[in-house]
Amino acid sequence: MVLTLLGIESSCDDSAAAVVRSDRAVLSSVVEGQAALHAPFGGVVPEIAARAHAEKLDGCVARALAEAGVGLADLDAVAVTSGPGLIGGVLSGVMLARGIAAATGLPLVGVNHLAGHALTPRLTDGLEFPYLMLLVSGGHCQFLMVSGPGEFRRLGGTIDDAPGEAFDKVAKLLALPQPGGPPLEAEALKGDAKRFALPRPLLDRPGCDMSFSGLKTAVLRARDALIAEHGGLRRQDRADLCASFQAAVAAVLAEKTRRALAESEAPVLAVAGGVAANSVIRAALQGVCEKAGVGFTAPPLRLCTDNAAMIAWAGIEKLQAGLVDPADLTARPRWPLDAMAAPMIGSGKKGAKA
Amino acid sequence: MRPEVTLAIDTSAAHCAAALLFRGREVEAFEEMATGQAERLMPMVEALLAGQGLGWPDVTLLAVGTGPGNFTGVRIAVAAARGLALGLGVPLVGVTSLQALRFGHEGALACLDARRGAVYVQGEGAAALAEWEELSGFSPAFTVGYRADDLALRFGGTVLPTPSLVLNIARVAAAGQGGAPAPFYLRGADALPPSDPPPVIL
Ligand SMILES: Nc1ncnc2c1ncn2[C@@H]1O[C@H](COP(=O)(O)OP(=O)(O)O)[C@@H](O)[C@H]1O
Repeated sequence: MVLTLLGIESSCDDSAAAVVRSDRAVLSSVVEGQAALHAPFGGVVPEIAARAHAEKLDGCVARALAEAGVGLADLDAVAVTSGPGLIGGVLSGVMLARGIAAATGLPLVGVNHLAGHALTPRLTDGLEFPYLMLLVSGGHCQFLMVSGPGEFRRLGGTIDDAPGEAFDKVAKLLALPQPGGPPLEAEALKGDAKRFALPRPLLDRPGCDMSFSGLKTAVLRARDALIAEHGGLRRQDRADLCASFQAAVAAVLAEKTRRALAESEAPVLAVAGGVAANSVIRAALQGVCEKAGVGFTAPPLRLCTDNAAMIAWAGIEKLQAGLVDPADLTARPRWPLDAMAAPMIGSGKKGAKA
Repeated sequence: MRPEVTLAIDTSAAHCAAALLFRGREVEAFEEMATGQAERLMPMVEALLAGQGLGWPDVTLLAVGTGPGNFTGVRIAVAAARGLALGLGVPLVGVTSLQALRFGHEGALACLDARRGAVYVQGEGAAALAEWEELSGFSPAFTVGYRADDLALRFGGTVLPTPSLVLNIARVAAAGQGGAPAPFYLRGADALPPSDPPPVIL
């Protein structure tokens, strides 16, 4: 039987709703971002995010249903992100879903946001288990071995900032707009990646853990030295800093990916998250996969940055595998996918974004 | 025509509350709780409906308490109410706690504790956040809510007993006086712009 699910996502700074079928058809995927609301503060402000979700999320659901051309009566269940993430936003989503479910009698599926990302290659590419997932976004950075709809093993992750967070903070240090990834990548094109010898944190240690906050500090020091010398930051210096920073991030991600592939013996690497849009990083990862003789896939950006289609899909996978648990509906800020792994590592140190 | 059944919910402070108005009857459920409203709210409403031989499809009008109060608490009920409204296809209105306190008493000065020495108040004019010490310019016929006795001593007026917030939310809605079902914060998000300015680009 083909299942049709409504998905709801509000764990960070995107209000999203989507309708997805178990035959992998994405009937609609509505994402309303909040970048402009947070821009003056140089980072996501939890209370501002929560306020926006509470105002917008039901409108997203109405739009997603209308665009999909389905009514609530056509659905088989409602899936909602219940963590990890900013608790105010998560709560708004969970309560909206509880309201819809109570009113319609539809079953509710609580979904882990990270499971949504991790299972997306199955929605977009029909990828078979097992595969290695590298999640690199503004709030997360981790390697996950995905062997089933509820089977995730974390091989490593960042012990401090996520790479997207590092891109954003470095962009801010260099007077580039937010979110910092795209403008920083554009500047880097004009720069010399070898000009500044920035550190490659944790490469000297075994394992797949990563660190990016020291890199940011190194950029700050180099910047301040340049400013002291010239009375400001010259455009070419900035471009060279961007290129050197980006090269360092790419090198760390590539080497740790090589190790994770070797350790996991996964046949395919799937990359998700906003940072996967970076062409230098992507090329580095593809190179590693080619050398290792494993496949490489990266879902289209609109489905590998925060969205609700992935939540609906993860809900479908949970339903089909008989993994639905009412306890999963409790909203929670932290929720490691891999219950066996030590907490803290994998999401940025302050949770899903500061 | 279906009989009118008004359902109100409120989690704007350290409580979880629901009320039903139908066929001239008024029933409510109220539990004090500082946390856990997200889990408690729906089962509480379902039990309240079932106790009157009603179910979700019988509800014809939804009302939600929009605060001011605990930011997260306000959002719990507002989000749930919006989901219910979507699912049931019935109208939803928002009622502020201050409106609910004043209901039925024109000329009342309503007051709620806003912590840190501040209060949320509403008299004849718009609702406001104010320092308790700096309240001035009221001449209410009644005072109601937080420190209503002190307010009456300062500004005059008869002290009203504190009504059931959630019942009054339902009554305001049933009287057609509800507003937008959006959180009513009266207090900013307390976010500060970044302190370190960007460098000068040469
Ligand atoms: N081309 C790029 N290069 C590097 N980082 C990028 C690029 N495009 C986007 N990003 C980063 O991706 C992040 C957003 O990705 P997303 O998956 O939406 O993450 P989150 O929702 O966790 O913030 C931002 O930190 C942004 O700077």
